Amino acid sequence: MSTPRPNGAMTRAAIGGLISAAPMLLLGIAVLLFAEPWVVRLAYASVVAIVVVVGLQVYVGNAGGVNFAHTVFVAIGAYAAAILSTPVAMKAIVIPNAPFGLATVSIDPAFAALAGLGIVAIAALITGVLVVRLSGTAADILTLCLQIIAHGIFITWNDLFKGSQAFFGIPQVMNLPGALLVATIVIVIARVFRDSPAGVQLRASAENLMAARCFGVNVKRLRLGAWLLSALICGAGGMLFAFFIGTISAKSFYFSYVFLTIAMLILGGMRTVSGAVIGVLTVEIGIELIRNLENGPSLFGIQLPTMFGLSGLALGAVIVICMVFRPNGIMGTRELDETLFEWLFAGRNSKKDVQS
Amino acid sequence: MMDYAVQQTLNALAFGSEYALLALGLAIVFSLMNLVNFAHGEIITIAAYTMYLMVVMAVGHPAIVIPMALAAAMAGALLFERVAFRPVRYAPPTTGLLTAFGVSIIVQNAFLLFVSARPRAVPVLGSLNQTITINGFTIQTLQVMEFVIALAAMGALVVFLKRSTLGLAMRAASREFAAVRLMGIRANRVIATAFAISGLLAGIAAVFIVARRGSIEPDMGFLPVLKAFVACVIGGFGSLPGAVLGGFVLGFIEVGILISLPAEWGGLVDAVVFSLIGLILITRPQGLLGHKVELGDKE
Repeated sequence: MSTPRPNGAMTRAAIGGLISAAPMLLLGIAVLLFAEPWVVRLAYASVVAIVVVVGLQVYVGNAGGVNFAHTVFVAIGAYAAAILSTPVAMKAIVIPNAPFGLATVSIDPAFAALAGLGIVAIAALITGVLVVRLSGTAADILTLCLQIIAHGIFITWNDLFKGSQAFFGIPQVMNLPGALLVATIVIVIARVFRDSPAGVQLRASAENLMAARCFGVNVKRLRLGAWLLSALICGAGGMLFAFFIGTISAKSFYFSYVFLTIAMLILGGMRTVSGAVIGVLTVEIGIELIRNLENGPSLFGIQLPTMFGLSGLALGAVIVICMVFRPNGIMGTRELDETLFEWLFAGRNSKKDVQS
Repeated sequence: MMDYAVQQTLNALAFGSEYALLALGLAIVFSLMNLVNFAHGEIITIAAYTMYLMVVMAVGHPAIVIPMALAAAMAGALLFERVAFRPVRYAPPTTGLLTAFGVSIIVQNAFLLFVSARPRAVPVLGSLNQTITINGFTIQTLQVMEFVIALAAMGALVVFLKRSTLGLAMRAASREFAAVRLMGIRANRVIATAFAISGLLAGIAAVFIVARRGSIEPDMGFLPVLKAFVACVIGGFGSLPGAVLGGFVLGFIEVGILISLPAEWGGLVDAVVFSLIGLILITRPQGLLGHKVELGDKE
């Protein structure tokens, strides 16, 4: 019992990851089979959000603290994909004065995605080395600083990022099945990382730093690893977004997006990968239902007034209620497969489960 | 040239006062209950919308509008404490931070829903801001007032903390809350007082913010409190003198960068300010006035 077979544990984590991804996959397939095009677009946006929130979870859920900089990597991923893969003819309109001769080259979206991940990794290593030096509130604030600095660069560097205007003309090569595949892979990776020795050590260090260090856990290196993995996943989310919508702007990756994704993770439960998935699905579906109310629908022949801000109001209320009554989010501390397993075998195995 | 220097110094002092007032409010609450009050900015918004409401109701005299705004700010802070923060008082810091963040979203969207997403004009305090010339120096009265009133408020706070029983209890509670309760002082009273003070300070800041901008909007509290938050971190989180020092340091950094950056780099002002703050954090994570804490130390 005390020495779990690592391979067995990893296989179990991978299968658990697939179960964590199941709600998303079921909804996604239902949308593909039955839904209208506008619902497909909505579902695509939700899948992108799942990738980004899982990316956020990889750092926040394992290393602890709050991260306000995750959307920087979403933006870097999206812009890297956009700048590398947009056709030269289009670049002549969008960024004719791009530095480093970038206006005259254009590569295949698949290679652009790989190169983009490389760029995200470099950016993550540079920032990560700084972030892991700090802990607590200072680290949280440093991520906030990073977010503001990056946004300043995006909106000021007109020649490369088209500044505060939208960057358009990105090849729209992705579709919903592709995004679902990427999201599933990302969820499994996040889950395997969470249950790997590194993930367990990192979570232990978040619970009790002194104890973890006494056991010889190299906290800084593990945090850096989680930061890098988190950034890569977020970057992939940004690319998914850019390759589907075809248009990106720096403002859409700024604080409102940061807060929305953090809220999703809190609601679902930041300690688990399943929590990230469930949180995104709950918020996306909830907001969409409320958005119908906001636009002033007619109910039984009565035209209701438009109520902008209602979805935000509900989002805030959900966060506060959740924090007061269920501070660990919907999923709490257990993954979906663990909860399901416990529920299915509640009668027979409950005692054994508590011990293990 | 001398004139310009005086103007910019006053400008920095005015911004510094605003950040210091807000940072003090954050620090008082943090020192007692380790709560990073993200919803502090919404106190500003509440005070500002109270002023707007007074103007709409045609009660437009500053002598009525300002006390009402301060009262509303205090009431708002107390309400936040009672409804949202008391239930999570014993939860880990992250829970408190996220609760505050939820409160902030609720208040912003409530104003968006019930008033408007667009800025609304509040011209009533414009009369406070006049340009006068003394000995050849052009001076904005609002900036001088802001600095003087902020100093007065800080002085009053020091007197309150040093001379009154409740102030003593608050200072003691920031060290060891259990001991304060054993002395027969209610925890609820100490914390409610802290929130009332933080609300009052934010209300004062709100009056000056509205007087300067002349308009209000639902998310107007976000940026000032972000800066105040940063001021706290520069000074050392939870330290009251640190919050004041951090506020003024930030004011001077900001004005300094604003006047030294060329105009076409205007979008980079915040980026440069926050790069400097990042540098301060990396080199002195405990803040300018904080004491050195090793990763993992309890105290």
